[in-house]
Amino acid sequence: MRRRSIVLSALVSLLGFSLLSLAFVSWSEGQATQGEYKIGVLEPLTGPLAFEGKRHIDGYEVMRDLINAQGGVMGKKLVFVVGDATDPTAAASEANRLITREGVKIITGTYSSTLCGAASEAASRQNVIYWESSCVDPRFNKRGLKNVFRTEIDATGFGWYNIEFIAKHLAPRFNLAPNQIKVAFLAEDSSYGQGVTESARQRAKADFGMQEVALEYYAFASTNDFSPIIAKFKQLNPDVVHHIARGNDAVLFWRQSREQNFMFKALIHAGATGYGSIDFGKALGADGNGPFVLAEPSAGLRLEAFRPEARKLETDFSEAIKKRTGDEPLASHRLAGSGLWLLKVVLDQSKTDDLDKFRAAVLAIDMPVGSMLNGWGVKFGENGQNANERVQHYMLQWQNGKMNTVWPEEFTTLRAKWIPLGPWDQRK
Amino acid sequence: MRRHALAVGFFGAAALTPLVIHDGFFLDSLVLILMWGAVSGAWNVAGGYAGQVSLGHSAFFGIGAYSAALMATRLHASPWLGMLAGAVVATAAGLVIGYLSNRLKGPYFALATIAFSQVLLIVASRWRAFTAGSEGVPVPFRPGFWTLGFASKVSWVYLVLCLALAIYLVQVYLERSRIGYQLAGVREDEDAAQALGIPSRRLKVRAIAASAALTSVCGTLWAQYVGFVDPFYVFSVDLSVRFALNAIIGGVGTAMGPFVGSLLITSLETTLRAVFSDIRGGLVGIYLIIYGCLLIVVVRLIPQGLVGWFGQRIRAARRYARA
Amino acid sequence: MTALPQLLISTVLLGGIYALIAVGLTLIFGIMRVVNFAHGEFLMLGMYLAFWSFTWWGVDPYFILVVAVPLFFAIGLGVYALVMRGVIHASHNVQIFTTVGLSTALQNVALVLWTGDFRFVRPWESSVVVRILGAAFNLSQVIAFAVALLFTLALFAFMKWTHAGRVMRATAQDGEAATLMGINTDRVYRLAFAIGIACVGVAGVLVSPLYSVYPTAGLQFVLLAYVVVVLGGLGDMVGALLGALIVAGVEVIGSYVFGSAWKEVIYFVLFIAVLVFRPAGLFGQRGAEALGV
Repeated sequence: MRRRSIVLSALVSLLGFSLLSLAFVSWSEGQATQGEYKIGVLEPLTGPLAFEGKRHIDGYEVMRDLINAQGGVMGKKLVFVVGDATDPTAAASEANRLITREGVKIITGTYSSTLCGAASEAASRQNVIYWESSCVDPRFNKRGLKNVFRTEIDATGFGWYNIEFIAKHLAPRFNLAPNQIKVAFLAEDSSYGQGVTESARQRAKADFGMQEVALEYYAFASTNDFSPIIAKFKQLNPDVVHHIARGNDAVLFWRQSREQNFMFKALIHAGATGYGSIDFGKALGADGNGPFVLAEPSAGLRLEAFRPEARKLETDFSEAIKKRTGDEPLASHRLAGSGLWLLKVVLDQSKTDDLDKFRAAVLAIDMPVGSMLNGWGVKFGENGQNANERVQHYMLQWQNGKMNTVWPEEFTTLRAKWIPLGPWDQRK
Repeated sequence: MRRHALAVGFFGAAALTPLVIHDGFFLDSLVLILMWGAVSGAWNVAGGYAGQVSLGHSAFFGIGAYSAALMATRLHASPWLGMLAGAVVATAAGLVIGYLSNRLKGPYFALATIAFSQVLLIVASRWRAFTAGSEGVPVPFRPGFWTLGFASKVSWVYLVLCLALAIYLVQVYLERSRIGYQLAGVREDEDAAQALGIPSRRLKVRAIAASAALTSVCGTLWAQYVGFVDPFYVFSVDLSVRFALNAIIGGVGTAMGPFVGSLLITSLETTLRAVFSDIRGGLVGIYLIIYGCLLIVVVRLIPQGLVGWFGQRIRAARRYARA
Repeated sequence: MTALPQLLISTVLLGGIYALIAVGLTLIFGIMRVVNFAHGEFLMLGMYLAFWSFTWWGVDPYFILVVAVPLFFAIGLGVYALVMRGVIHASHNVQIFTTVGLSTALQNVALVLWTGDFRFVRPWESSVVVRILGAAFNLSQVIAFAVALLFTLALFAFMKWTHAGRVMRATAQDGEAATLMGINTDRVYRLAFAIGIACVGVAGVLVSPLYSVYPTAGLQFVLLAYVVVVLGGLGDMVGALLGALIVAGVEVIGSYVFGSAWKEVIYFVLFIAVLVFRPAGLFGQRGAEALGV
């Protein structure tokens, strides 16, 4: 009984401590120290999205150091205060903490569609600028919020590009008109998979009249066998498989398709997960030849096609990421990095974080494709969204264990192969 | 009045806080403490007073959240209407669970409730035509009372306080009324209660349905507060566990238990997260390890919950003083 | 129907894996009547064991099994002593939430130590194609199935024909009567828990080439395992195997016929239906569920 009393008293003290701490935790007086400019960074650092959140943080930190090496923002050193946005409630709560306790006027982040919605709501209720660098929810910019901006295109953009690629670059080489192409849509079931797939489906039908022969969503984590789906697809005989994968499901589907001799003319994916992950190449090597991935640029990229200031940025950023992680920059690094760089560009123009002047500066920027990291250009619309046409995306293809940049052709020295994909054992 | 001393102290302090403290984060945490306390109180109606420990209450929470969001985005209706609609649908769902409770006991019932909430999760995340699927539903923020759009944290504190008070009173009613005594009988020994002529099956179903409706109301308010409904979150097992956890830590079957539990758990979690967020990237998870271990310790050592434990100490102290 | 052999064999192979995951749970749930929320986390730890031994020492997961069995048995003993023993006689609430705390702690230990990145174990067996009746599978799947079957049968034999097994079954049927008969229930529970954890650790090692390895990997298997356990009847090894086959069948055939999006709905609804109409499981003893678990 005595031990219990001690423990319980400890618990009650813990209660008191928690409450008091709530009262005082991270209470800094607005801006940190003289000569520092603080912004808030919200990423999922725990929970199922933690691995991407960590990569974003890496990208942000590397870019922040590059920015500070060049004089920082508005003449001050750029400093972060980080919040863990593990679920929508936490995202809102941490946003509040960063705003009220840390006094930040700008929050950036947040990777996932479900988190950016909640966090940006919290920010807008307090008139804080929300600078989103990677969530792809199409409705993010349609809420009429004046403080919300996004540097990356939304999921509809990915689907848009994929279908564009199929219609304009693959169809002719299959000797088919776009409306003769049969597409099987396969996707993992999260907001990302659904968002991209739905926008692709819509464009395929509305703009090109492509024939959708199948639509299958699956739960990525619990799927270890695509046999039922492959069996079904084989009977439906699609020309193109539009597969949005999340991780090992890409390897699995590709391998099982090969094992079960499922033939199709092309496979397209979008994003840095699944087929877009270096892991796909590591797992399959040359057996993985063929899939197309809409992603940030990689090997073959012609920096000459970029403008000079972008070239330097590109090189510096890649080297810094290599030093930090040992690998080429991944898409998550790039998204975070470009987002932060764009923020610096805006702040350099507006010289203030006052919302109206900031917004005016954002809308005033107009840079062509090739001006920034990733070869992006900048032109924000009234809804705070960086335009699809300026956010250059690239089509990559797996060739002999490497993801090579193959399109648009003026940006790369390499070219796509195996269109259409021939028999499985003949793709060299 | 002595009975309610704890409640008066707690709710009184909550009501006075916005007048004294203007810090946004503190108020936001207060809103969350009250909100999670309220949902746990709603859970307590079924889990504590009727003895039906459900681990699928997020089903009802999600129904409430989705009703508000969908009515606002598709029908441009007031979220209050959404609240009502949600409560109706949740009650129906509660009747289903109630039926299950009459066939299943203990862990079987808990598992069935989990399965139920997961079915709703999958349906919500796939039925794109109705719910926008996995992408979730952003809740439009339109300032005003009828649109439940309050930017000020103070308004939210008082709004959620009203909800919390209401749920507290519902629980107190269950403690003192005839129905409450009958429920207690059913909870302690259902066979004996039935032998006494108590309509135990009907009572259980009603308790669960009421609990469902109240949980759904909380879900609606949550959706309006946070502004985004994500099916993988609102129907998650994690949330269901949270609702039950607050009540159990605080004292299942006591009216203040859920609130005291929420006070401890929510403030602990928020504080730990705030302290650890700035740590070198990969180490943030440490706060959850601490949280998990604390949970194990607390649940084991005070199975009757904090309120129960305090009550015992006070009674023991009084007895000692009288002797 | 050319797809039939592929679907059928898929079902069998998948069923074997689910059986292995569930068999540990049916022991723990069946004998101790504890709803162990942390069950999936031990699976996850098994997966990481396979991953790290493969990555650091190049050891094939199937050889690591030899180490995994005693290792996880010991872990089970440890966790029992530290966490479970105190709550055996406590209310269900306490048991559930203790294991919830354990689950959160374990997931985040994995997150902090090994980051949230998705990892993969790719031993040479994963690239070997096995053709059975014209259907294609990879060797890892077949091995996982074979070992799972072996383990399940071994456990079944243990429970049926050894003294310890009989003692465990007796305790499962009625803990009080068992004590009256002189059985040390604490030791029985400890053994049951340790064996259960050893099983799920082994399952983790076996499935590591088949699924991604990450800290919250255990979550999707926990619910599935409970569905299998309930279908098969508590504490019933063969029931677990049959239940696993049914769940696997529902998944595979359901995916093919209705689309993979709805497969989980189908087995959850099946789960609820079984709970309502035959709560003791399709193969369990009638009335077990109403005996006040």
